[in-house]
Amino acid sequence: MAARGRGRIRRIVGLPLAMVMSAACYPATAAAQPESRPVDLPDGPARPGFDINRFSNAGNGWFETFYVEKTESLSAVLEDQRVADDTRVLVLETATGKLALLTDQMAYHHIAQGRAGDKDWMATF
Amino acid sequence: MVCNSGTSLVPTIDGTLHHFDNVGLYDALFVMQDKESSTLWNHITGEAQYGPLVGRTLGPVGNLLQMNVELALELDPDIPVAISSRRYFAGGRAFGEGPVPTGPGRGDGPAAGEGRGAGPGRARGPGGAAGPDGRGELAPMFVTTLGTEDTRLPRMGMGLGVLTPTTVRFYPMDRIRERGEALIDDIDGRRVLVYVDPDTNTPAAIFVDASAATLEGKEVRLDSGGVVRSGLVYDAAGQRLDAERPQQLFSRWYGFALTFPGPQIFGQ
Repeated sequence: MAARGRGRIRRIVGLPLAMVMSAACYPATAAAQPESRPVDLPDGPARPGFDINRFSNAGNGWFETFYVEKTESLSAVLEDQRVADDTRVLVLETATGKLALLTDQMAYHHIAQGRAGDKDWMATF
Repeated sequence: MVCNSGTSLVPTIDGTLHHFDNVGLYDALFVMQDKESSTLWNHITGEAQYGPLVGRTLGPVGNLLQMNVELALELDPDIPVAISSRRYFAGGRAFGEGPVPTGPGRGDGPAAGEGRGAGPGRARGPGGAAGPDGRGELAPMFVTTLGTEDTRLPRMGMGLGVLTPTTVRFYPMDRIRERGEALIDDIDGRRVLVYVDPDTNTPAAIFVDASAATLEGKEVRLDSGGVVRSGLVYDAAGQRLDAERPQQLFSRWYGFALTFPGPQIFGQ
């Protein structure tokens, strides 16, 4: 951990690819994965009980948050056969009602953010 | 728990939208960081963990329910869906771009050997292969981030965590299955049905007015005469009821117990 800029940089050097490959929910094609990027950390404070020394940057930079800009009718997407009856989805409540996200895609994105009815929402998975 | 449980949060702080990324691991769970303040956040509780916004929470926390398209449309025929450009599979076909997805529902999901069919609960655990007990093991990169674990249950055991303002309770999958995959429990003086959804093989909890439940085929029959079908509750007359669901997380024991220390364990 070295000081840089306004915060600290945490880096795990040479994260073994074998570790990367074994991480379920992390992309299976480990060979294509970049090294985990360092994280620019502030200088605290820490929430009581939180030990910053146990934080690892493993996986930083591998995933992209899904910023939702448009939605479609799920029934129409089903009719178009772009999903099937048994396609797995995650359902949350937004200010305008329920919204579905595809589980397959959220296993990669981990975070989705969007806006509905003038209110911002976020799903984490 | 990594990638297999989630919540809905509110990304607005003091009226300003913050933008979040997955930046690492803590307690073998992914950690979020917002671009605006660089604060680290717990993705389950929405609590700031480290940084200038400690003390703040991205709440209120809501459910992120796991189901399939059929059930989602039963729940709301007009439900919208957001689909990214990322690769996914549906009906035996691939859509989108990028590598083949792993994780829940894809055969590499976290709940090793504890599910049936294609649901969460196959093959590999987070960062590790399935062990002889079928529960999987955490790879070292995850283990090094763990705090002091609660050893009352196996680390990788799956279950449903239910949270109310005064109760935090974990329902191990094997205990739900021992009770015929459907049980009625009491939480804060209210009856709650905890069952394994026959369509998705994932556990779920719904408040009901009943004292006993039996899974029959794809329906949960309540002793009140009501039925739970496709995640929806119907009364004895077949009228659909507005069912309330407690906050719930389908998760591994280690993650749940580290996030919510000292939870009650159903049946123990």
